[in-house]
Amino acid sequence: MRSVATLILVAVAVLAQATIVNRLPFEWGPGPDLVVAAVVAVALTTSPASAAGCGFAAGLAMDLFPPAEHVVGRYALVLCLAAYLVALVRRNTGAPGAVGSRASGWAAVGATAVTALGVGLGYAAVGLVIGDPHMTVTAVATGVGVGTALTVLVSPLVTLPILWVRSTLADSEFATVQGPMSPGGW
Amino acid sequence: MLRDSPRSRTVLALLVAAAVVLLVLDARPGGNPVTSVARAGGELVFAPAAAGVGWAGAPAVTLYDGLREGPRAAARVAELEEANAALESELQAVRIDENRADQLDELLHLSGLGGYEVVAAQAVTRSTARGYAHTVTIDTGTESGVREDMTVVNGSGLVGRVIEAGPRTATVMLATDVKSAVGARLEATRKIGVVNGGSVPGGPEADLTLELFDMEAPVESGDRVVTLGSHEGAPFVPGVPIGTVDEVQVAPGALSRIARITPAVDFASLDVVGVVVAGPDGDPRDSVLPPKPEKPAKPKEEQ
Repeated sequence: MRSVATLILVAVAVLAQATIVNRLPFEWGPGPDLVVAAVVAVALTTSPASAAGCGFAAGLAMDLFPPAEHVVGRYALVLCLAAYLVALVRRNTGAPGAVGSRASGWAAVGATAVTALGVGLGYAAVGLVIGDPHMTVTAVATGVGVGTALTVLVSPLVTLPILWVRSTLADSEFATVQGPMSPGGW
Repeated sequence: MLRDSPRSRTVLALLVAAAVVLLVLDARPGGNPVTSVARAGGELVFAPAAAGVGWAGAPAVTLYDGLREGPRAAARVAELEEANAALESELQAVRIDENRADQLDELLHLSGLGGYEVVAAQAVTRSTARGYAHTVTIDTGTESGVREDMTVVNGSGLVGRVIEAGPRTATVMLATDVKSAVGARLEATRKIGVVNGGSVPGGPEADLTLELFDMEAPVESGDRVVTLGSHEGAPFVPGVPIGTVDEVQVAPGALSRIARITPAVDFASLDVVGVVVAGPDGDPRDSVLPPKPEKPAKPKEEQ
């Protein structure tokens, strides 16, 4: 139940990003990244391995959707690592508790901000490694800055609902009793 | 510090490896089956979704575009409206100027023919307090040498006479006013009479009515009438066309012959007029009259 709902929500986020957000003619360049916001919400409530899988799948979907302006696997790699790190930090610091306890809204938005920044920089770093000619300092600075700000702005509309859905469904499954090191599941 | 299970790390390593493999595969020049098939699959999902979003979002996109272009469009509309108004007024001014120039030309022509010295003026208003009197206000006055009892003409003929002159404006009683009586003379036959404004008792309904004193004078429709001229040229200078005989009334027992006159001047569209400030040295006779039309039997209003 929980995994199905998560799958649907992440797929909706990916499709919305590819078909709606990427269509909007923003004059300043990048738009908000709904995929990052959705993946952060999943990563905050699951094990690192599952988070990595989720990030990989979402990123790969974004890689495969048109426009094919970057190589396949670039976004998947970055999102996979980012989701893994978010889940790992969340599990090990466990600030308000273990997996399944409700993360506060502000913490989730903050995590989204940090992740969006990291994803933007990581994406640019991969571009540098594979020799993407678009990666200039000014382009990366404005793109990452504006993109992160917009992602933080939309995260209350994406991250928090997904977190709420996952927490609500988890309660009924007694997921909270699992230990901090449990592999967990979708 | 960041502990994790080996299994989890394995999963991560596998995923990263897969991503890197894909990266390397796709980054290499030339196509490769894996990523192209995968991209084709992505497009398969994307195309209908995008089409659906495009269909569902068309109104929103229109609205968004409208909102985005709104301030600019409003500014553009205002700019175009301003330009349009400027052009329109310019065009209108050109038309009015052309019209005035034509009328001034005619006025100059007439005054040159008759040897009149005229001061050009413009009819400002035709309204009177009650609408009874036929008067107009013109925009010249005593400062330009206009005095009372001066003849007012335009390019077509007699307009009236000045009845009151202020410093910058003057009031002109039109020849069609019922109080107006102008000494007149028939073209060619030189029979004299009076042209009254409006109708005279017993006469036909008309703007101008000619009363001939000579009962036996031959007068036909199509005959033209000019001013006779007053003593010292006031209030009327001689030789100004008044109008054309339209219809002669044969009234047995009448003391005078009465004819309806079609005015030479279109009093409904008075614009540029001239005040004759000095009359000619001699009577210009019929020289001011335009050439006789080809068909005098069907006289038209001149000009």
